[in-house]
Amino acid sequence: MNTLHEPHIACHVEDLTVSYRERPVLWDIDLDIPPGVMAAVVGPNGAGKSTLIKAILGLVPPVAGHVRVFGQPVAQARRRIAYVPQRQSVDWDFPATVRDVVLMGLYGKLGWLRRPGRAEKAKAQAALEQVGMQDYAARPISQLSGGQQQRVFIARALVQEADLLFLDEPMAGVDAVTEAAIVSLLKAQRDAGRTVVVVHHDLQTVARYFDWLVMLNQRIIAQGPVAEVYTEDNLRAAYGGQLALIGTLRLSDDA
Amino acid sequence: MLDAVALMILGTGALVAISGALLGTFLVLRGESMSGDAISHAIVLGIVLAWMLTGARAGVLPVAGAVLAGVGAVFGAQALARSKLLGQDAATGIVFPAMFALGVLLINLNARNLHLDIDTVLLGEIGFVWLNTVTIAGIDWPVAGVTLAAVGAVNVAVVALFWKEWKIAAFDPGLASALGLKPGAMGFLLLALTAATAVAAFDAVGVVLFLAFLIVPAVTGRLVAASVGGMLSVALLSGLAAVGIGYAAAFRADVSLGGGMALATGLGLLLALVASPRSGVVAAWVRRRALREEGLVAVLIAHLSAHEGTAEEAEESGPAALVGHLGWRPAHAQAVVAAALDRGVIRREGERLSLTEAGRALARAEVRRNDRRRALAD
Amino acid sequence: MLSPTLITVALAAAMIGALAGVLGSFLVLRGQSLLGDVIAHASLPGVVAAFLISGGRGFFAILAGALIAGALAGLSVQALRRGAGVKPDAALGVVLSLFFAAGVVLLTLAQTRGGSAGLTVFLFGQAASVLRADLLPMALVGGGVLVVLALFWKEFQFLAFDPEGARAQGLPVARLEVLLTLLIAVTIVLGLTLAGVVLMVALLIAPAVAARQWVRGLAPMVWLAALFGALAGTGGAVISAIGQGVATGPVMVLAAVALAALSLLLAPERGILARRTRQAQARKSLRGRQVLAALGGLESDHANPGYAGDQAMLDAYLGTDAGPVLARLQREGYVRPASLPPEPGARRWELTEAGRQRLEAPDA
Repeated sequence: MNTLHEPHIACHVEDLTVSYRERPVLWDIDLDIPPGVMAAVVGPNGAGKSTLIKAILGLVPPVAGHVRVFGQPVAQARRRIAYVPQRQSVDWDFPATVRDVVLMGLYGKLGWLRRPGRAEKAKAQAALEQVGMQDYAARPISQLSGGQQQRVFIARALVQEADLLFLDEPMAGVDAVTEAAIVSLLKAQRDAGRTVVVVHHDLQTVARYFDWLVMLNQRIIAQGPVAEVYTEDNLRAAYGGQLALIGTLRLSDDA
Repeated sequence: MLDAVALMILGTGALVAISGALLGTFLVLRGESMSGDAISHAIVLGIVLAWMLTGARAGVLPVAGAVLAGVGAVFGAQALARSKLLGQDAATGIVFPAMFALGVLLINLNARNLHLDIDTVLLGEIGFVWLNTVTIAGIDWPVAGVTLAAVGAVNVAVVALFWKEWKIAAFDPGLASALGLKPGAMGFLLLALTAATAVAAFDAVGVVLFLAFLIVPAVTGRLVAASVGGMLSVALLSGLAAVGIGYAAAFRADVSLGGGMALATGLGLLLALVASPRSGVVAAWVRRRALREEGLVAVLIAHLSAHEGTAEEAEESGPAALVGHLGWRPAHAQAVVAAALDRGVIRREGERLSLTEAGRALARAEVRRNDRRRALAD
Repeated sequence: MLSPTLITVALAAAMIGALAGVLGSFLVLRGQSLLGDVIAHASLPGVVAAFLISGGRGFFAILAGALIAGALAGLSVQALRRGAGVKPDAALGVVLSLFFAAGVVLLTLAQTRGGSAGLTVFLFGQAASVLRADLLPMALVGGGVLVVLALFWKEFQFLAFDPEGARAQGLPVARLEVLLTLLIAVTIVLGLTLAGVVLMVALLIAPAVAARQWVRGLAPMVWLAALFGALAGTGGAVISAIGQGVATGPVMVLAAVALAALSLLLAPERGILARRTRQAQARKSLRGRQVLAALGGLESDHANPGYAGDQAMLDAYLGTDAGPVLARLQREGYVRPASLPPEPGARRWELTEAGRQRLEAPDA
């Protein structure tokens, strides 16, 4: 498809169904994320949050449906997308320095046969400064704490200078200071006009951190501005049996 | 005509197959197939060291040495991996070749005294078991066969005795230890028996071919049967069949009898891969087709149901939406629509598709099923 | 006593060892060490079949045969896992043993046809069987492998660390994986005459494991693994060529494993000894702080700066004899024996000014 389809939407998903071993885990997803928002994807365990991100990125083949990023198929929009996988998905004992990992963010753009040079290293250093890890560039990644690992992964995404960022549970298992730093970093990205999509697990902080919300439980339960979507009815629909836990939440918009 | 020599060879092979199936079933279930590989190599060092220390070439001492070496290789690799300096795979890939290399080197250096041919260690020659016999009750029995029978009897006894414990330990070590069944000790016993059997078998078939009898029939059983008992039965059957078929074929082609038997275990596996009703290629293909069709019809129903009564209903329920939005190829979309019409879950009015009452019920049932599954998962 | 044969052998072994170290690094980092074992064992039928078809031990015929068999084995493992849902370890075991059995059958077939005396060297490797004429093709093929590796260096690095991230950036990960496995198969096949099918895996894994312990980056690891591999290869091959009737493979493997063992023990940052020392030091300093804190606690409990704590009480607090810890703290000037006259049989200690400061300082 050469013509742009919904170019004014940062991420447009239509009728996406994804199966694992012939059993659908995502059902007929219609999703629109406007540009310039910081969006959270929330839902109970097994709701398919990570799968949704992976399907959007083309890492998991869909049974049906299609995805457009700024009007283009994902394969043609790769340069405008950055992805931060779950921290535990890689072996942190790998022999690499912090700078090596950040430079990997530029490998796709560099293309075949070209090595990262001085310009790339400067970009990597700048990205590390953004996440406050500039003094760690030469450290082996095996010596980092969990929060530092997460910052390095985010720096790897920032160095891509993408317009659309996907982050899979970036706040899982990091300390409170790191979490606050990550949130303000991502808000700064949004304020610079970028679109940020975060798989998030902590309902307590949704209203404070995000301005757009997607509630998922194998189907889209609700999507839209946080103030409109973050309602008890929607939570009940998404979390069902887990609502007892949620009952204690304050449903206020103290963002 | 089966003469005494052929009977000895076939009997020895059958004993290897029986012990291999008994132990292999549990090794495969526990995900420790490659421990079998490590053990069968490491025993060589144990045998040589036992000989160098005690001068014994047969009997209990070499077997004890081999068992120590075999179990030591597996546990050594596990201990090494616990240091987190290298992975389990790399630890295994270093420990057992090192032990095997040392064993081979010692054999090399002591070749004049040890009379242990290194090619035999690796390949064995079941065709020559009749050269070395003992007389029991007035009949000549091959020594290898007698040893294997003794080890095999122990294997049968242990498996019968600990059947329940081994089964649970293989499926759920956590539950096994909660029940006080000592899965660690059971695992140790399994590895020790594997090492002892490998010692008894390597004169006949060599260490690598023993591995074939240990793993291939058990994997065959796993593909065919759903229960541990069924798995073991299929493993025994396919191992024994391999001995017969391999012998006949290798005899005619005048090639290594042990190699022929080991290779023949692959036939059972191939048969299972193609024709097993549980996981064979044919069955899987048929099932996948049916499932896929069902899944796709469900996708179509979900799609129509999601847009039913909304403003986009008209747009979403035409064939253009199936091709444009769902991303299906036209022929593909047509097939799914035809299947759905067949099942009476949708109806067509001109260009527009809509759910029938049955289709709507199906969509609701699917939603409810998802809710229930989620509730269970939490 | 540098005979031409010895030089040939040493050169070949250095090349193979270095190449195996380089490619083995990727196997180790991707957690696929045992796949190397399977490909090595599985190349036996290819070697023998090539011999049967071509009627000789020509370098390229053997190489091609082994490579085809090794690649088939790799694909079979994939097919068993993905297609039939066989567990990874079982798939490896099945493919290894069946391919090797096929090799054994073909080997006896070759023996009955005669002229196969040279084939069993592929089981354990024989350095002396490497011909001078093999050196150049060996160097060319090995050099080709390294060139391809260098061309796709950054992609292979990304693939080894984070395949999913690499795919998200649009790299053709599946094809890169096949290419890398192919390079590893070529390396294994080149090494067969020296190390043999049974032990080749250790020559891939041991130098890489050894190198990993000393370095912080992938490139240094690969260079060092090449050096370790070359050392082990040359050492093993020369020893085996000098000693009569000693197969090369075992000696090379033992040399490589010795390097790995030394590295695991002695490497400065990661090594087991270094780690033990660090842990002991941490324990010691923790003990020291515990004693200081206990003394400080007694002081404030008694609202008496300069209160002297009873050593028996400290023993009970630490759960072990506090004497050595106190002696060390005294040497470092943090505590001193109490100046007030001790009761008989009891030893009392008090904090010095330095000890009090250390107690208040944030964790050193």
